[in-house]
Amino acid sequence: MTVETSQVETPSLPEGSVPVPEDLKQNVFISSLDAIYNWGRMYSTWPMMFGLACCAIEFIAMAASRFDIDRFGWGLTRSSPRQADLMFVSGTVTKKMAPNIVRLFNQIGEPKYVISVGACANGGGPFKEGYNVVSGIDKYMPVDVYIPGCPPTPSALLQGVVALQEKIKKQSIRTVPWYQKDQRNDSIPVPQLGPDIFDPRDIPLIEKEREERKALKDAPPAEEVVAEAPKKPSRRAPKPPKVPAWDITPTEGAQALADQINQTLDVAAVTPEKDALVVDPSHLIAVAQYIRDDLGYNYLSNVTGVDYLGRKGPRFEVVYHAYSIDKGGGPITFKARPADDDNPKLPSLVSLWNSANLQEREVYDLYGIRFEGHPNLKRILMWEGFHGHPMRKDFKEAYYEGAIKPFSNRWPNGHHQRIDFKNPYNKNVTYPDDFNPETWKPEGEHLDALEVHQVENIAGMKTDRIKVNFGPQHPSTHGVFRMVLTLEGETIVDLEPVLGYLHRNHEKIGERNGWLMNMPYTDRLDYLTSMVNNHAYALLVEKMANIQVPDRAEYIRVIMSELTRVFSHLVLIGFYTNDLGCSFTPLLYALEARERILDLFEAASGARMMVNYMRFGGVAYDVDDEWLKLARFHVQDTLPRTLDDLETLLSENEIVLTRSKNVGALSAERLIANGVTGPMLRAAGVKYDVRKVEPYSVYDRFDFEVPTLQNSDIFDRYMMRVLEIRQSLRILEQALDQIEAGSIMGGKGAYSLRVPAGEAYSRIESPKGELGFYAVSNGSGNPWRYRVRSPSFVNLTALSEMSVGQKVADAVIILGAIDIVLGEVDR
Amino acid sequence: MLGWGIVKGLGVTLRHFVTTYVEDLKYYPQRATKSVMEYRMAPGSKGIYTIQYPEEKPVLPERFRFLPFLVTDYEGDDLQKRHDEARCTSCGICAKVCPAQCIWMVRDTKPDGKPLPRSKEFYIDVDMCMNCGYCAEFCPFDSIIMDHDYALADYERDVAHIHNIDRLLKPASHYKEIRPAQYVQREEERRLAEEEKKRKAEEKAKRMAAKKAAAAARK
Repeated sequence: MTVETSQVETPSLPEGSVPVPEDLKQNVFISSLDAIYNWGRMYSTWPMMFGLACCAIEFIAMAASRFDIDRFGWGLTRSSPRQADLMFVSGTVTKKMAPNIVRLFNQIGEPKYVISVGACANGGGPFKEGYNVVSGIDKYMPVDVYIPGCPPTPSALLQGVVALQEKIKKQSIRTVPWYQKDQRNDSIPVPQLGPDIFDPRDIPLIEKEREERKALKDAPPAEEVVAEAPKKPSRRAPKPPKVPAWDITPTEGAQALADQINQTLDVAAVTPEKDALVVDPSHLIAVAQYIRDDLGYNYLSNVTGVDYLGRKGPRFEVVYHAYSIDKGGGPITFKARPADDDNPKLPSLVSLWNSANLQEREVYDLYGIRFEGHPNLKRILMWEGFHGHPMRKDFKEAYYEGAIKPFSNRWPNGHHQRIDFKNPYNKNVTYPDDFNPETWKPEGEHLDALEVHQVENIAGMKTDRIKVNFGPQHPSTHGVFRMVLTLEGETIVDLEPVLGYLHRNHEKIGERNGWLMNMPYTDRLDYLTSMVNNHAYALLVEKMANIQVPDRAEYIRVIMSELTRVFSHLVLIGFYTNDLGCSFTPLLYALEARERILDLFEAASGARMMVNYMRFGGVAYDVDDEWLKLARFHVQDTLPRTLDDLETLLSENEIVLTRSKNVGALSAERLIANGVTGPMLRAAGVKYDVRKVEPYSVYDRFDFEVPTLQNSDIFDRYMMRVLEIRQSLRILEQALDQIEAGSIMGGKGAYSLRVPAGEAYSRIESPKGELGFYAVSNGSGNPWRYRVRSPSFVNLTALSEMSVGQKVADAVIILGAIDIVLGEVDR
Repeated sequence: MLGWGIVKGLGVTLRHFVTTYVEDLKYYPQRATKSVMEYRMAPGSKGIYTIQYPEEKPVLPERFRFLPFLVTDYEGDDLQKRHDEARCTSCGICAKVCPAQCIWMVRDTKPDGKPLPRSKEFYIDVDMCMNCGYCAEFCPFDSIIMDHDYALADYERDVAHIHNIDRLLKPASHYKEIRPAQYVQREEERRLAEEEKKRKAEEKAKRMAAKKAAAAARK
């Protein structure tokens, strides 16, 4: 402030100085006015309540008490762009979300500023190569300040804030564009979602491109059109990747099971392959029904596709993993292979397990396998009209650089060049012949007008049935999630979740990455629980490559995972009560405790959020006794204290009780059918926790309980988290007592790991539910298929069933209590 | 009694509110000094403490990582000398292990085209880097290290966010300053490895000499 005031007060001229000439007096006035004008603006810039991905969590941390953006006068986050001055574009900008961001930007009144937060928003970040990722928001709109980092720490964000203040300070009222008649900004053209995203300003370019390509196509000697063809051939021509194949001699169990099913059904429907069952597509439903009803495997956890391009026989395969809630233990893995490669289709299992609903849509979207009998088979992560099915092995992204990493152009002759300049956007995109960018209208992306039909409601009154769009930019959707609500009055009659606004192509990138390279990517799945994701992925690869983990590393892993569970639940309680209307107080207390745990993570791993801490065979760094002492202190003091505070604040609060009792209840059977796991399932009285039913790591050494509640409503889901935190603290106490000195790394810890050919599914209990990783290896350094079965995504299946019949305001808290993190929902 | 739950909750809020002010007053007016800050941020401290960035900065643990830099053993400002004494041998491991593939490097060559163990160009695209720390973790020469400098916000990204070799090279003293424990440990390891190498070379020389002597004797 000191600098500005000295400019404002015109000091009495020192003796001997030159007086200001008459014709410049005007300028002196303006510059003093500038100082006041800018001083006022730079300390009252209101950001929009808007976040895209991981960086938004750091933005929230910056707004919370430890860093407190309010000190800059920037704390008044506005939910509406029309009231805001500033947009923090925090996180990965996906193609599906980009049009919405530009629309929001257009709605902010001048003067408006944009801060691009984090590597993704600046330039695509680690997800740059993804088919649904934009290489930087500045492709579409002007950016004032770029903050690097992945994610930037809150201090880095504050430094960006200071940088923007500096910029504002230098502006002059005479030159700012919003007071100039001729320079006033018109709104920016909104990018369109065609076969790929395109900027309306680029239409001539696209047209030219298409004509050139058409000419090439018509010309008889077909020249290679693909953009990535290297100019000079590399020394070793890239070999086509090896198609995964492994010994498929059936295990005894699988053989017996297959015989039993074939006998009962009286057809040869099932062939065992290793420990999986390959089911004839025509008998899929019958076999699935047998598995569900007669064998009691009533919970279908995972449905996913695999593309074995180049293999003899059918190219596609859909893999199902079914578990038994009552018996616990491992899964029954069954597969079906659609016979026709060009038009693959399978019967849908939605009639048996609703948990297949969203997952089958995902398989359809990414692989193009049609599920016959599916009630709503359309794309889920990408938009209708996107070119191709991106997870197919022969699909190429706009910024395709190579089939596997490392890319050969990085070393030894790596002259830096940004791929988005080298490989212009449209080269790899296949535009249909009848595509006309001028008239193109993407299907399902717009809710052009409210659809109004008059209906009679339950009470016999005439009412309007209207469709309301909720999200993807809404403060209470916990990120870029969208719901299309059909309402009668305030009552929801239908709810359709629309996903994909944060689809960052984890799985496609994961297939290109080496095994170890995927570890930091898992941090960014559920960015609130990085440690747990690390743990789950490490377990999968250790299972496939048969790597032993020393005891100390196991204990460290458990300590990290449970600390994560505690703060994830705490933060969820904060967010969820925020949705209820307890604006910010519980969240601030939770974030305060979270900061303490993040300090621990930062000391151990080097990063607050994106820890990248676990390795195959152990953990990256050891923790010292000082650290353990500090962890013990937090476990015994800070965390229970915070939890007690939250409990006193909320558990008996009459308003919370009234709002949350008997809201959103769903029976245990329906929850299981919808594939819901984690605290939501246990709040309905089902004692199902992967740590108990299929123990991993060293969880069998601890004495803890799986708490359950009966009502299955929103309040119980809140209470469930409280109870689980208490159990986690119990585990933590024991783990901190039992941990002993020793090695932290089994295996070699080399950066290039080869995993024996085969497939595996491994799951753990994440704070949100069952987090599973499924991978297929062809024996090389990269996974052939890398699949994340994320709890947030599957749990969303039940959202519509829980919300129908409730009020709009209740849908918000029902969604809040599911505890979704969009990074994990969309992956 | 209806409403008692709300009153109890408000009590919690009030307690938090008062505690923070009481703590603030205790340290008034010198609340921003380093010792006060450390005390108030210590585990078990009462009230909420806000770091007054940019006047105060959070204390970073040694392992904190942000963006990588390259280590040179030359301490001065001369760019060419920095370059000459850089530890990087251009082996390419960092570029191969980088998950986001944000490292580009050009290996230096002799005039006859044979590779030299140093890099001529080195780029890190900050807008792709995911701060995972693999490059530093797997570098066999301790020549790429994760920096602590996070205050890097800029008004443009085409120049400022592509760190080239001139910008990346920082003296070893910087490394020592931000990661003292790791520096000491790794330098010790390096020294031992050097000694081992020397010892082996000497042994080999001795053996060769013995062989030569034996051959000469046979003649």
